[in-house]
Amino acid sequence: MTAITPVPPKATNAQVLSTFWAMVRKELTILSRYPVDFIASFAQIFIIVSIFTLAGLTFSTGGAASETTSGVVVYGFIMFMFVSDTLWTIGFNVRHEQVQGTLEQLYLSPASKFASLIARVTHLLIWTSLLSFTSAVIMRSMLGSLPVYNAGRALVLLAFILSGTFGIGFAFAALTLRVKETANSLVNMFQFVFMILGACFFPFSALPEWMRWISRLIPTAYGVDIFRSTLMDYPPGFPELAPVNVEIIIVVAFGLIMPFVGYWLFRRAEHHAREKGSLGEY
Amino acid sequence: MTATALSTRKPGQASPAALLSATFATVRARLLIVSRYKGQLFNEILTPIVLAAMPILLGRATAGDQAAEVFLANTGTANYVGFMLIGSATFVIVSNAFWHIANWLRWEMETGTLESIYLTPTHRVFVAAGTGIYSTGRSTVGAFVAYLIGSAIMGINPFQGDLLIAFLFILSGLIPLFGMTLFYGALVLKLKEANAMLNLMQWVVNFLMGVFFPITVMPIAAQWVAKLFPPTWMTNGVRSAMLGVGYFFKEWYFDLAVLWFFMLAAPMLGIWAFKKIENSVRRNEGVGQF
Repeated sequence: MTAITPVPPKATNAQVLSTFWAMVRKELTILSRYPVDFIASFAQIFIIVSIFTLAGLTFSTGGAASETTSGVVVYGFIMFMFVSDTLWTIGFNVRHEQVQGTLEQLYLSPASKFASLIARVTHLLIWTSLLSFTSAVIMRSMLGSLPVYNAGRALVLLAFILSGTFGIGFAFAALTLRVKETANSLVNMFQFVFMILGACFFPFSALPEWMRWISRLIPTAYGVDIFRSTLMDYPPGFPELAPVNVEIIIVVAFGLIMPFVGYWLFRRAEHHAREKGSLGEY
Repeated sequence: MTATALSTRKPGQASPAALLSATFATVRARLLIVSRYKGQLFNEILTPIVLAAMPILLGRATAGDQAAEVFLANTGTANYVGFMLIGSATFVIVSNAFWHIANWLRWEMETGTLESIYLTPTHRVFVAAGTGIYSTGRSTVGAFVAYLIGSAIMGINPFQGDLLIAFLFILSGLIPLFGMTLFYGALVLKLKEANAMLNLMQWVVNFLMGVFFPITVMPIAAQWVAKLFPPTWMTNGVRSAMLGVGYFFKEWYFDLAVLWFFMLAAPMLGIWAFKKIENSVRRNEGVGQF
């Protein structure tokens, strides 16, 4: 008699959504249990903003920054917060589950893995949006002026940039499964590299020409450039890396292709780890 | 009669040599652990350079060719690169001192060994001192190397001004700094999962020390608070000695005297705060809980 192996039923869309929502709710519940963290992160934003504002003012005459400078710093900082969250959080969470010893169990459950990955960032996006709005208001009051044009277009672009960084987030999670603890040092290093080459706190024109060429190889750098240029209504010299249309095409392509590439890489690393039996190892 | 019988030590009390040995064993253990993470060491050198690069690049973009001139008018020195590099290198020393002590306590809590440390005949102060010595060595060497590399990359002479006085300010600043780390330690003992608070404190430290700007650009009330913070005197002392930005009390020895006062006051206050929290934790849930 031939033994018949039952094929596990594929999760329906409703089940995937339900898993996703349950996980987002779980993350939000955890977040709400740490009110000190909540207040501390708001205060932290206020202090970071003050530090960079005061640093910027030491280079200005009359103690006021120009509208373009404010736009570059404020929108660059906002992009930095969003991109940092989406880039690293998925990998960090996978690592956290590994250390807690719950990653293997998660993989034994029929819950959607994709929903589980996305849910880890969703609550943070809500949180970062709130922080971004607050930091923009604070910086506006400190710097005197802040240009806000084409908000709708900028939001659409932001959605594509975030979609692309989700993809990099998946790829980084794949790397975390491979390199384990070393991922932490890699994150720190990449974050620094992104701070400089992504020109989050200054215009790209401040970088030497050879560095600007490296920036041109990084899609998130185009994200920073087009997002702030759009909100500043494309003042002379902006966007700095490429013409507007070219940057829009790059950002849209990045947002559409990268999630698939990143998720494919993650599935491969996950498959490899399951075959080797190292999923729960850390 | 043997020497042991004449000893004034209580039974179970460790000898000074044993205490010192425990301190150096801690230093060795910490160095051994960190040597396994070469990436961390690389990041430690990279951090001050990147931190300094951001305001430097922002300044160059904002003020263009007049960056040095405008900076001179606002701060007292045209060498904005040196100003930022000294600020960020000192900040890394200060920030690491806080983090290393806090992380050490948290790590011992999480691995379940903190309570055991309290039960050994070696007083915990000697184990903490080991972590302090390790932190000082690691951060000071890292900050110095970062300052040298940063200066080379950004094209400034790293050895200018009165280096001996600058060194004196760093040396005198380290003792009150480690006195203050006890506040951080107390915070970890009390709050346990204090990462968010520690992150926040790191930026507060950055703000108060005037890492990227002279504290004179801050509101008056904030300036007073900053002056109660020993690392502010250390940073300004080093900058004044090397770049001539001006001491708070005009002469270097007056500023150094203030730092010496902190050398006494900060450790005493830190020990008092730590003991108070420690006693309360031990009376209640115990130090082993996390």
